[in-house]
Amino acid sequence: MKPLRFDAAANQPPFGSGAESASAPISSGTNLWGKAEALRRLGGDEDLLRELCRIFLEESPKLQAKLREAIAHADPQAVMRAAHSLKGELGYLGADGPLQAARELEDMGHGNDLSRAQETFTFLEKELAGLHLVMQDFAGERA
Amino acid sequence: MNVAPSAEVPGSASIAKPSPSDSVLIAEDDPIFRRVLRGCLQKWNYKVVALENGLDAWTALQQENVPQMAILDWMMPGLDGVELCRRIRSQAPGPYKYVLLLTAKGGKEDIVAGLDAGADDYLTKPFDLNELRARVRSGKRILELQAALVKAHADLQFEAAHDHLTGVWNRGAITDLLQREILRSVRSGEPVGVIMADLDHFKRINDSYGHPVGDAVLREVAQRLLGSVRNYDYVGRYGGEEFLIVLTACAPSSLSMTAERMRIHVCEKPVDTAAGAISVTISIGSAAQRAGNPDQRGGDGLVRAADSALYAAKAKGRNRAECAPEDMAASPAHAAVAP
Repeated sequence: MKPLRFDAAANQPPFGSGAESASAPISSGTNLWGKAEALRRLGGDEDLLRELCRIFLEESPKLQAKLREAIAHADPQAVMRAAHSLKGELGYLGADGPLQAARELEDMGHGNDLSRAQETFTFLEKELAGLHLVMQDFAGERA
Repeated sequence: MNVAPSAEVPGSASIAKPSPSDSVLIAEDDPIFRRVLRGCLQKWNYKVVALENGLDAWTALQQENVPQMAILDWMMPGLDGVELCRRIRSQAPGPYKYVLLLTAKGGKEDIVAGLDAGADDYLTKPFDLNELRARVRSGKRILELQAALVKAHADLQFEAAHDHLTGVWNRGAITDLLQREILRSVRSGEPVGVIMADLDHFKRINDSYGHPVGDAVLREVAQRLLGSVRNYDYVGRYGGEEFLIVLTACAPSSLSMTAERMRIHVCEKPVDTAAGAISVTISIGSAAQRAGNPDQRGGDGLVRAADSALYAAKAKGRNRAECAPEDMAASPAHAAVAP
């Protein structure tokens, strides 16, 4: 049984259910990162979460680059793969805002329809930029 | 069930050593999940091999002493978790691999597909650590049960092939081993030697001191015989106080030397028993099968020849070793029966 949560991540669909949110969040701000949910998942281990954030800060730009390239080459399979990886990480770290966009991109790749991919990707990049800033603060990596 | 014993140190249990059930192989291309899995499992005292893709995992799984539990990500470049799982299941039988499939998919069809491919369990991302821990623990439980079964099976195999009293091969097993070594010698060209050793006046020991003391003497003599041969020779209990020893790659000249060494090793110091020190001697008959000889005697012929030589040793006063003449090789029947 999933415990009740009263934090910012409470709008997330229950994990493991495969349920999708009804609609994409149009920008977020407060909903950008459900850190509490990520921490709960990690049994409250802040150090581990910090390390995961550092890995994410290093890895996610690579996935973004892959996505950008896949969209430029109109390669739905590559879009699906990169978006899938990004979605997994965002979901695990409780980053709801960009998560929804990554999920949509994965679906677009899966459905071989990239007509709205660039638009969604632009939104994703904006969300990720915000997320990176918050995570840098938390991980102590901000210059 | 084939209980033919494998080549091993005589008298030792042939128990296959399973790789530890508390080590885990991880195949996960995502660095975040890899880090979480590795870190947590290590914290929970599992030994971890963490790999970045399915092909590396497949290569690692071909090696010996690989972890018996594998946590495989569903989606990986090269070889994905489901395909990897299929390959694991189509492998030649060995220690069971417990496979936990990690998936971002949650649909029932996907789960069924994963389980159909041979996964034992699955975990949906994003998993929480309590769930991960519980699933891995239940996998470990299965592996431990499996290890207990394998051990029970090996113990049974050991018991089926060994003499309860002395721990050396029993009659059925030593006879099988002799046949196998003879077949091997035909191919390798290396001769096989057979020694039949019989305790002298054993009945007197039983009658004078009782059976428990007689048993202790038999156990000690078996140990002394084992101590007189090489690791790759075989010692078996053929009958009550009679032992059959199979010597591999043994030239006829070293056969009589081994026989003499055995005789001395048994009688040189008395056996300590609950009834005090008891001096024992053995009589020995040996026979060699010359490699490359087209008229080779089979296992039965060799044993018969050694047995005849043993009778001769008894007839000549006991506590001595006699070797069957080589021309007995061609004779299928008792060529020389001692009085």
